[in-house]
Amino acid sequence: MSTTDTRTLRVYRFKRGDGAEHFDEFEVPVGPRMSILDALRWIQLHRDPSLALRHSCLHASCGTCGVQVDGREELACVSAVRDHGETITVEPLANLPILTDLVVDVGEFFARFPEHPIIRASEADGYVRLEDCIECGLCLSACPVAATSRHYVGPAALVAAQRLLEEPRGADREDVLAWADRPEAAWGCHLGFECARACPAEAIPAERIMALRRELAR
Amino acid sequence: MSAAPGPVRHKGRGPAVSGWVAPRGRALGGRSFALHRITGIALVIYLYVHLGVLSMLLIGESAWGDFLSVVTAKGFLAFDVVLIFGLLFHALNGIRVALVGSGYLVRHQRALFWVATAIGTPLLVYAAIHVFGGA
Amino acid sequence: MRAWRWTVGSGVALVVLAAVHMVAQHFVVDEAGGMRTYQQVLDYIANPIIFVIECGFLFAVAIHAMLGLRGILLDLDPGPRGRRWIDPGLWVLGTVTVAYGLVLLTTLALRA
Repeated sequence: MSTTDTRTLRVYRFKRGDGAEHFDEFEVPVGPRMSILDALRWIQLHRDPSLALRHSCLHASCGTCGVQVDGREELACVSAVRDHGETITVEPLANLPILTDLVVDVGEFFARFPEHPIIRASEADGYVRLEDCIECGLCLSACPVAATSRHYVGPAALVAAQRLLEEPRGADREDVLAWADRPEAAWGCHLGFECARACPAEAIPAERIMALRRELAR
Repeated sequence: MSAAPGPVRHKGRGPAVSGWVAPRGRALGGRSFALHRITGIALVIYLYVHLGVLSMLLIGESAWGDFLSVVTAKGFLAFDVVLIFGLLFHALNGIRVALVGSGYLVRHQRALFWVATAIGTPLLVYAAIHVFGGA
Repeated sequence: MRAWRWTVGSGVALVVLAAVHMVAQHFVVDEAGGMRTYQQVLDYIANPIIFVIECGFLFAVAIHAMLGLRGILLDLDPGPRGRRWIDPGLWVLGTVTVAYGLVLLTTLALRA
């Protein structure tokens, strides 16, 4: 039995000022433990150094390597090649502007978050990560409402708001509720529950959104 | 330095609204949202068709009789079954959405979908038999 | 939040009212296809209890439909100008819908 076989990766490509969006196909030799990110890096090293992708920690902690694999949001670093078919389609996250190839502009993602800095009073100089949420943007890509609305703040931002209600850290509760009580915020969710499945952390955005709405409907 | 914004991809093919209903890779909740939206739009269209044809009643007995002979043809009755499916789905899934969307039974949203299906399916079957004159 | 409450409220009312409407209008009728004849419709609408129920149904349907359309339109990211027109536009459409329905119901009830 051979430990490697080959899979075809269909990879979305887009370069500014360099023609239309398209897909390139690469034959990639894969080992039993290979991740989608490993396969993409193999392509960079051996086939096309111009393939742009973003990653950092390699262990599902930083949230930078989110892509769509066969139409579902995954962190490429922990998505196993062997869980997919002979041909694997890799696309950038949906609902965010593409900078190049698989890299999207996450600035638009963070711009949707509530204005309140999510900080501890004792660490006023820097952001402290929300528990659970790794701010990877997979939920926004998976959300059907975000397909048409760039004003809908999306699951991660609503999770952040609910987080502020649970532990205000100096934020004004009424401000957070007022921010959430809008059609572009808590009421823009139509219960697709796609975010709950896409979330690679344990944030389960849909449940936090519903908790937020229960708070608002009180 | 700021470059021109790149393309924004969305799920589905064609216009962005296809992202609401594109089935590829979707979860149960996403599919029920899609069907809820489709049945909702269809029911609004039906509402105005319905109100429109009821003007036959204002015209009088013969106009209503002519209308009846068209809509009680066998082919038209199949449309009634589709309509009843839309009503039942939107009503039963609507109860699920109202509960879960207000923060109740959130962790049971999938189970609620199947409860709604279990209630709706026999109702639809009964209604279909009735529409075609069997009950 | 107000829109959500009205959507849920009118939706719950509709589950009852639409069920009554469907059963009473179409399922207890012996005619083929569950459609009443002209005279049967008039007699039915002239019943004051039914008249009130159908009026309630009309209101609930109009409210629920307008709020549903509002949700869909807002999802389509209307610009600030479009947004300004959504609520007044839907008020007009909903009012016209209810007015037409009331004229229909009243005219038929008076003919019986």
